[in-house]
Amino acid sequence: MTTPKEIFVKIDKCMGCHSCELACALEHSKSKLLYNAISEHPEPKKRIYVEWMSQDSRMPVLCRHCEDAPCMHACISGAISRTEEGVVLTDKDKCIGCWTCVMVCPYGVIGRHMEERKAYRCDRCPDRDVPACVSACPTHALIYETVENFSSNTRKAASKELAAGHGG
Amino acid sequence: MTVEQTRYVIIGASAACMSAATAIRESDSCGDITVLSMEQEMPYFRPMIPFLISGKKSEPEMSLIGNGPFKEPKIQIRTGTRVTSVDTDNKTVTVGNSDSISYDRLLIASGSNPFIPAEIKKMSAEGVYSLRTLGDAKKIAARSSKTRRAIMLGGGLLNLKTAFALLERGLKVSLVVYSGQVLSQLMEPDDAKLIHKALDRAGLEIITGCDIKKILTDKDGVKGVVLSNEKKVEGEMLLIGKGVSPNVGFLDKSNVSIDRGIVTDEYTAANIKDVYAAGDVALTIDSLTGKKNISGLWTNAVEMGRCAGFNMAGKQTRYCGVAGILNATQVADISFVSMGIVHTKGAGYETHIAETQKAFRKLVFSSDGKRLVGAVFIGDIERAGLYRYLILEKRNIEKIKKQIINHQLHYGHFLQ
Repeated sequence: MTTPKEIFVKIDKCMGCHSCELACALEHSKSKLLYNAISEHPEPKKRIYVEWMSQDSRMPVLCRHCEDAPCMHACISGAISRTEEGVVLTDKDKCIGCWTCVMVCPYGVIGRHMEERKAYRCDRCPDRDVPACVSACPTHALIYETVENFSSNTRKAASKELAAGHGG
Repeated sequence: MTVEQTRYVIIGASAACMSAATAIRESDSCGDITVLSMEQEMPYFRPMIPFLISGKKSEPEMSLIGNGPFKEPKIQIRTGTRVTSVDTDNKTVTVGNSDSISYDRLLIASGSNPFIPAEIKKMSAEGVYSLRTLGDAKKIAARSSKTRRAIMLGGGLLNLKTAFALLERGLKVSLVVYSGQVLSQLMEPDDAKLIHKALDRAGLEIITGCDIKKILTDKDGVKGVVLSNEKKVEGEMLLIGKGVSPNVGFLDKSNVSIDRGIVTDEYTAANIKDVYAAGDVALTIDSLTGKKNISGLWTNAVEMGRCAGFNMAGKQTRYCGVAGILNATQVADISFVSMGIVHTKGAGYETHIAETQKAFRKLVFSSDGKRLVGAVFIGDIERAGLYRYLILEKRNIEKIKKQIINHQLHYGHFLQ
């Protein structure tokens, strides 16, 4: 079995351009065309949020698809489950709009679609090879990788920096 | 070589039971798990039963096994099986008159029964119900089809949800509340103003400060009630929603320690070895107030059941207890959450309230102002989970207090 990929955030690389938010909303629109999407009703919803941490630092926040997902255990209608790829998904048909998941998510990334009375969040773009937010990020602050590759790459980058610092 | 199978017996078949069974199966692949349920139906999502009354969901759509975190954990479920006694000396459970089942580990997750005031019990008639089980919901749905007006007693969350289910069916609904407001356990009177307005808009008639004195009947059962202020309210159905009490009657002759509910320790264990309890039947400690508490919430039951399951399978897991108040829901056209300590009148808490036409926010801090201990959000409940996290983890919030009060809090603040 291949290890599923996850979306990682490199906080130091985010420059707060909001491209990921736009790409996310667009991917979850009906037309998937920017010109049409802006006039769609209900308005297409983004599932990633660029937040300001301080004067010169921002970061995108999105569903982490937690291993022991609090939303999944708390859901009172059995609408939230985990796919084999490790994605925690809300089944729209089963969701009854009670917002218990909104109350228990420690990242604050589950939204309320008031027109449909359904909860929504990152679904890792099931129709795409690479999630829309990752493709749209111009600074590679968002990385789509397996845990192993991501940490191995991080280690390699760190040792390169170390070696450079020692004149190696 | 034969492997000795542990025999797990679980009394009850709802949230606590099924998450325990799932947890046991995660840690013990071959143990024998038997679930004894006095209900006729296979496990279902109990909070959804008002949807059966409104007709929005059918029975199969409420089924629990295979949905959400509840996998098919290869267990034996015996429905329609009432446990009559538990013998902890011989480690057996008696069902019906004589059938005896042996256990190695026992989980009591027998839930609760509706509390019916004694004076109403005496007057009972056809058309008087309390909503607790899928069976109750079916009866109420059947009666609804020949009912024009329903009378409901009690202003709790379940009653409100049920009231909306009946309104959606086209019934006229009168809700009788003894206190001056609905949801008095989840908020203070001034906090509930927006909710009262939303209920008015939805066409629910609320009668406050009253009790039911007499039930009027004819050959078809209920036809109305006389209130404590002598006023008459007409209706062909009466629903009692005055809360629940733990279902512990079958433990009368056992040595299991009971203080309203089954007394449990921090590992969800009862006072007798190999006996555990979880869910609505268990007495725990509220992690915020430090007071003894019986939760009655689905989410708490799932969490406690999961802990119990791991402990029973030998994987020691501490149950931290949770706050008694942790509710989120949609009432009519308005969303709300109520978390932690929300009744502040006369207590020394630091509270911050912000109100607009459409939204209400109340934040409750400890008296020294260093911790967030409770919150009520009505209308705008965005990112409520961040506040819940701060409340339950008892984090020092001095550095982010301004963001909390001004509704600017986001996950990034936790990383600073």
